[in-house]
Amino acid sequence: MRISFIARVVSAAVVAAAGAAAAAADADGLTLPAGFSVVVVEEGQGPARHLDVAANGDIYLGGGNGLSVLRDTNGDGKADVVKSFGNVKGTEVRIFKDWLYVSDDVGVYRYALKKGELVPTGARETVVSEFPKERQHADKTFALDDKGTLYVNVGAPSNSCQERDRQEGSLGRNPCPILEKYGGVWVFDGTKLNQTPANGRRFATGMRNAVAIEWNPAQKALYAVIHGRDSIDTLFPALYNAEDNATRQGEEFHQIVDGGNYGWPYTFFDTKLGHRVIAPEYGGDAKKEPEAGKYANPLVAFPAHWAPNDLLFYSGKSFPAKYQNGAFIAFHGSWNRAPEPQAGYKVVFQPMKEGKPSGAYEVFADGFAGDMKDNSPDNARYRPVGLAVGPDGSLYVADSQKGRIWRIAYAKK
Amino acid sequence: MSARGLRRAAVVIGACLVVACVAVGGETPVPPATASSATDARPPGQLLYGKHCLSCHQADGRGVRNMQPAIAGGTWVQGDARALALFVMSGGFDSASRKDSAEGNVMPAFRQLSDADLADLLTYVRQKFGNGASAVSAAEVAEARTSLGPAPIS
Repeated sequence: MRISFIARVVSAAVVAAAGAAAAAADADGLTLPAGFSVVVVEEGQGPARHLDVAANGDIYLGGGNGLSVLRDTNGDGKADVVKSFGNVKGTEVRIFKDWLYVSDDVGVYRYALKKGELVPTGARETVVSEFPKERQHADKTFALDDKGTLYVNVGAPSNSCQERDRQEGSLGRNPCPILEKYGGVWVFDGTKLNQTPANGRRFATGMRNAVAIEWNPAQKALYAVIHGRDSIDTLFPALYNAEDNATRQGEEFHQIVDGGNYGWPYTFFDTKLGHRVIAPEYGGDAKKEPEAGKYANPLVAFPAHWAPNDLLFYSGKSFPAKYQNGAFIAFHGSWNRAPEPQAGYKVVFQPMKEGKPSGAYEVFADGFAGDMKDNSPDNARYRPVGLAVGPDGSLYVADSQKGRIWRIAYAKK
Repeated sequence: MSARGLRRAAVVIGACLVVACVAVGGETPVPPATASSATDARPPGQLLYGKHCLSCHQADGRGVRNMQPAIAGGTWVQGDARALALFVMSGGFDSASRKDSAEGNVMPAFRQLSDADLADLLTYVRQKFGNGASAVSAAEVAEARTSLGPAPIS
């Protein structure tokens, strides 16, 4: 059983390697499709998270050490000027009109972006604050629509809403009280200041942690890729083994609609069975399905534990036509697949047409993790965590291990 | 070579293919517990680690940054054996090493394990991954267990 599983992984890896273009000598150890090239923009701002690129090419970056801005003054793609600013240590960074919106674990803030300024000189304004401080799934990532509506991911501070979080055999709380204040998307008027969570409205629920949340301007719709639950094997060893845990709980990609329910903690999408199952904490037997139609099925269920940490709909002009309005997803990579081989650690492209998947996903950029000694995530060379598109259509990728930033460009042939 | 030996060799070769066989030098990563582990010749502490600890604290005991703390080099793990036994049986966030830690995930309680298993497991984590603390006896675990409160709701 175990050998055949490994053989499957190996053969899958071989197929993937054969399908991708060989790594270009100058690709910084990454593999990319033919015609794409890589420039290392910068490394040195510490663990990076999300980023966004202004119309003039300035890159605004968030991370564990705070905010920074990077400018390339001579057009070679590498940052020549790097400045730290502000006092926000968090994940999300989004440019909306003349504002830079950022977040940490407890709030969303903004700075005015004035013409000619590299570092914002205006005071930080608070859009929403006083989200409860939590240790788990606390990043308040967000999306903004074209009117400035603010959609905030309020992750659940729990794995599966057990009476005792992550305790073997502990049953689920029913109904799960966490869903009253967490585990969904809360919506605010992003142009108003000094709001608290009470000023928001729960827009969608049943989402464990939707770090990768994004407005699709072409479809005028909200999308997210959600981190699925951990540890079905160690919590319910009579129902699941380690291989099950490493492979069955899909990372669900959804269009998020007003009033939508995406199934956490009561269910998860089982990628082996190809349908949603009742979670073991709620009486699941590894097969039983929930009531039909109660929870949305994912547009795509990506492999377990890949950790989708950013989502981007490509609207740049320089990539080939097939990328237009398709979705790039940065997968941070697994830890909970152990003892099975870790996976993820790549940027995936999901072809989309009119807001729906139009084909199988493709690995776009890979090779971030390197050899990853001892199968240990902390030994990954890089872990992709943030995505943005520059004014020239290049794709920017940020890494959380060292803060490396790449610019991926397409050269017409 | 026995059938199981052949099978294990195949697993090792498979693992090498997957991770490019880089596990040379330093600590040998912990092999996963398999279905045949009950009859395996490996030390029980290692098997128990593979079953209960590895998926969070990882094969090299380094944990995962922002998620689970490292066992390797841990002052708490190598400190007072009674306090460690009590913490592993009760779980939570309140160990001495975690007061200022950024790791987000809670330590589950392992009071369901026997005194002998806990002794083997604690001895293993105190002496593996470069750690060098004293062994823990089943009697020490049993004595620590007398200080545990009633089992919380599960």
